[in-house]
Amino acid sequence: MKTIDLVERIEGEAKLSCSWKNGVICDASIDFLNFRGFEYILKGKSPLDALVYTPRICGICGQAHLKASVEALEDIYKNLNEPLTLTPKSLLLREIGLNIEIIDSHIKWFYMFIMPDIVKLQNSDLGIYTPLKGSRWLEASKTASETIKGLALIGGQWPHTSYMIPGGVMSDPTLLELTSIQNYMDYAIRFFENSISGVDFDTYLSFSNIKDLDLLKGDLEYFKNIAITNSLQKLGTSHDRFISLASSSLFDEGIIRQRTAYKIDLGKIKESSEHTFSLNKEENNSSKTTWSKSVSYNNSFFETGPLSRALISKESNRKFIKELHKQYNDSAMVRVLARMDELAHLLESTKNLISKVDISEESFIKPKYSLKDIENGQGKAVVEACRGSLYHNVIIQNGKIKNYDVITPTVWNLGPKNKNENGVAQEAIIGSPNIEIAKIILRSFDVCSVCTTH
Amino acid sequence: MIDSAEMVKKVFTQKSGRIETNKGEAFYNTLFNQAKSRLKTLRAQEPLKEIDLIDIIDSEGINRRDFMKWVSATTATLMLPPMFAPLVAEATELMNRVPVIWIELQDCAGNSEALLRSAAPTVDDLLFDVLSLEYQETLQAAAGHDADKQLEEAVEHFKGQYLLFVEGAIPMANNGQFGTIGASGETFHDHLIRMANDSAAVVAVGTCATFGGIPAAAPNPTGAVGVMDLVKGKPIVNIPACPANPANMVGVILHYVLTGQIPELDSLLRPKFAFGYRIHDNCERRAHFDAGEFVEEWGDEGAKNNFCLYKVGCKGPMTFNNCSIVRYNEGTNWPIGVGRGCIGCSEPDFWDKYAYERPMADANIKAPTGGVEKTVDEFGLGLLTATTVGIGVHAIASAVAGKKSDEGEE
Repeated sequence: MKTIDLVERIEGEAKLSCSWKNGVICDASIDFLNFRGFEYILKGKSPLDALVYTPRICGICGQAHLKASVEALEDIYKNLNEPLTLTPKSLLLREIGLNIEIIDSHIKWFYMFIMPDIVKLQNSDLGIYTPLKGSRWLEASKTASETIKGLALIGGQWPHTSYMIPGGVMSDPTLLELTSIQNYMDYAIRFFENSISGVDFDTYLSFSNIKDLDLLKGDLEYFKNIAITNSLQKLGTSHDRFISLASSSLFDEGIIRQRTAYKIDLGKIKESSEHTFSLNKEENNSSKTTWSKSVSYNNSFFETGPLSRALISKESNRKFIKELHKQYNDSAMVRVLARMDELAHLLESTKNLISKVDISEESFIKPKYSLKDIENGQGKAVVEACRGSLYHNVIIQNGKIKNYDVITPTVWNLGPKNKNENGVAQEAIIGSPNIEIAKIILRSFDVCSVCTTH
Repeated sequence: MIDSAEMVKKVFTQKSGRIETNKGEAFYNTLFNQAKSRLKTLRAQEPLKEIDLIDIIDSEGINRRDFMKWVSATTATLMLPPMFAPLVAEATELMNRVPVIWIELQDCAGNSEALLRSAAPTVDDLLFDVLSLEYQETLQAAAGHDADKQLEEAVEHFKGQYLLFVEGAIPMANNGQFGTIGASGETFHDHLIRMANDSAAVVAVGTCATFGGIPAAAPNPTGAVGVMDLVKGKPIVNIPACPANPANMVGVILHYVLTGQIPELDSLLRPKFAFGYRIHDNCERRAHFDAGEFVEEWGDEGAKNNFCLYKVGCKGPMTFNNCSIVRYNEGTNWPIGVGRGCIGCSEPDFWDKYAYERPMADANIKAPTGGVEKTVDEFGLGLLTATTVGIGVHAIASAVAGKKSDEGEE
């Protein structure tokens, strides 16, 4: 039997086609049917224009695109042996901005996308989790809105902020503004303590054992209980291979394929359009079903996102998630808990970063020459965004963009299969006993259709 | 050659004079009475949602004084005299009589995100509890076939009454195959027309829905266009900007609740209350412009002293919007506040004309100093007849949009 279902509330819509055998999904295809064509639009534009265009790929992770764009442009200078100097202050302000965006996204994802579906498994009345009017939903929405003000203070507005340029950032926050940003982080920490985890923040951060799962109170306990009742600690497993392309204060680059390797070779990333619609109608046939491409590293599919980042993190960091993974593998429940665990660690680490900003430093150091004057150049950048690894690759010719390639996290996770194996989310969904569970598994990857197709 | 500061000053310090902020006592008295009877009619109607604003204000412990502060600010934003404040407060309370359906087409959900951060006592209480948001795919609980069903039911139930908010452009190339929606694979174009046909008025939110936005940037691979290029025979309000300012979304709804009509529009169908003046007219850095103090490059002494950003490419002088007053994220900040300069995101074609590496002196654009709205004003149309204006000026607006606005008047 075949069925077609739709999944929304994901920045666009995904079509989920499932084949069933003995009441279990035996094959699935995840298709994205909306397309805008950013890579075509960027061709021929002035390089700095990318800083206005790419953040608008997504209303949720624009900071990540902005950071990837600016770093790809800076990489061009580096490749021409004229590396730009950046002050610690400008680097900090970029990372703080990106972190706040991820914090905002994680809060909204849990309450707007995950909880309504999870609660529905148990209860037709969503109660405090009801979108647009449940008290917890509103509280979460308010917390996210307050938190993101911290980003508006250094970026000017949110969404769609463009305050980074090759050489640094345009903004020059005062001490008062930095203190306000700290206060916004504290506001979110209180919410994490009181509503999300139900335990003291430091106690939560010290979780390192599978038994600590039992200490959870608040919404995470509620989530965990429903998840276990519905076997989400077993369902939703995929290839159990992970990738994280970028390093930051909290994240490390690396891959896990049985064991962890902390070195990434960007040359091993390959994009394929085998199942992707072509702009030219004539070239489309029945094997073309989606606007998403697929992307592999060293010819294999890897999962990216908070679970990957937790597992790849060095030393004893993120031990709680590492232990959960040992017990429950890459299941839907672990994927959700990894994202919420990352929220706590990001809040802590961002507070620390804010305290390190030295306002007496320069925000911007002017490059010696303009990108307009570059005859031939190429630059790449990788950034860890809300949903995982983001990669930008730009080629410049005669001062204009000749080619601009974007690979978003959702392409890693939700791209279609290739000849050798199923796509990451596709593999995770196969084996689902019903469509509600299949949709939750799909959501556990934090789907974003506009990013996927860009 | 425009290169001297004097010349520039002359051009940009001219009074823009494109909007009458005072229409005279007689006008406001008539409007006041009409709004009063409109609110009375609304109050007599069954609310779509059994939610009482005053209860919410009390139960959530929102300070009533804060609420009244918000009301006076909103009254001013709508360019109404203070005597309207009690009516605006009442209209806020009656927002649950006007259904809103919000659809997303070729978008990035940036405007939905902005809506979540609307400036209000708390947006959650006012907008979400009181506003009858009958369908919003990103924010509602239903998904998939349930969502499809909810949308169809809302359209059927509120036929001819709902405000249709549209976010995102409409891809017209390849027979619309760059964007489809729902299980039937209906194209965005068909979907939009179907939803618009049964609406009371259409509100295009964000630059994608108004002028095609980034998807319409050259070479416009998907043939993206805005709502006003396709929807005919319905009042259309454009709220451009990327993202649109939620204060203006709330303003349009409140105006509709208050008067039963859409607000007075300029020739690009933008509400004059929000787009009647330039960023430049109310910019906090304006004094530095007048004094000839400019940021020459980012990070210089001028930047550290918050000088004018005109020379690093700020498009404030030719951009019509109220963000210099309303700001973003509940008034927290705006781009010029961090020294970034305006990119003109509420103007047609901003994506191809107004990006960074084009300080104004080098750009192929001129400031519309005379004001395109003159055309509309010449019709002598007032606030109360604005619904007909919406339809009436449509042809003109499309012509202007098509002509490219780089032919600003001298």
